[in-house]
Amino acid sequence: MTGEAGGSTSYVASGLAVPEQLDQLHELLRSAVAQHAAVPAEALMMFETAVMEIAGNVVEHGQPRGQVLWRFELTVGQGSLTALLSDSGEEYESLVDGDMPDEWAESGRGIPLAAATLHELKFRRRAGVNQWRMVRNYEPVTSEPTAP
Amino acid sequence: MAEWDTVVEGAHVVVTAPARLTLTNASRLKGLVDQTVRDHPPRVVIDLSGTEFVDSSGLGALVGGLKSARQAGGDLRLAGAGDQVRMVLGLTNLDRVLRSYDDLAAAVGDW
Repeated sequence: MTGEAGGSTSYVASGLAVPEQLDQLHELLRSAVAQHAAVPAEALMMFETAVMEIAGNVVEHGQPRGQVLWRFELTVGQGSLTALLSDSGEEYESLVDGDMPDEWAESGRGIPLAAATLHELKFRRRAGVNQWRMVRNYEPVTSEPTAP
Repeated sequence: MAEWDTVVEGAHVVVTAPARLTLTNASRLKGLVDQTVRDHPPRVVIDLSGTEFVDSSGLGALVGGLKSARQAGGDLRLAGAGDQVRMVLGLTNLDRVLRSYDDLAAAVGDW
């Protein structure tokens, strides 16, 4: 689903938060942003790293496992990429929101890595829904005018 | 080589990582490395030249593989990492422990 408002374009996908859906979410993100030449490759790279970390977190920790529904909304604005990922899962017992773990740790990097690649990462639970908001700002790429 | 190929080349083993090394397949890579260091010389190169995206689960598998290789008396090196992989290695400080080389030839140069 696609919508446009005020120079921004939105894309929405929803379904079960299961591992098989992660690649589809990734494809949606890439194909949607590819339609916007003004988004620099580095901004997309940072943003997709964060989105896939948070989505993976929902798949891995959302309860009851395999039954959580999610809704992903991507907005490509003039100068920012914004994702809202909402899920129907139970309230998280704890959210890892600390420093990057040491080099020998085999887990615990997901949320610190997402935070490091975004300008804004917020979580809230309201009306029984978990919601992540992710924002990556960018300086639009302007195409050079061709010489006469 | 195709993803997941594991090729013994003399004193080292090359494991070809998939296009996306993520939550959905990271445990497979760790399992492959563990098996490799049990059955072969524990000098492992992970070929990342075809890998366009790694998440934190993939990074965890690489760290776990490095530990397995070191515990077996060997080492694990990375070859051909692209922009996104190098970015996440840097942001997570894993570039301090996971040695990354431009290509396979450079990775095995002194082995």
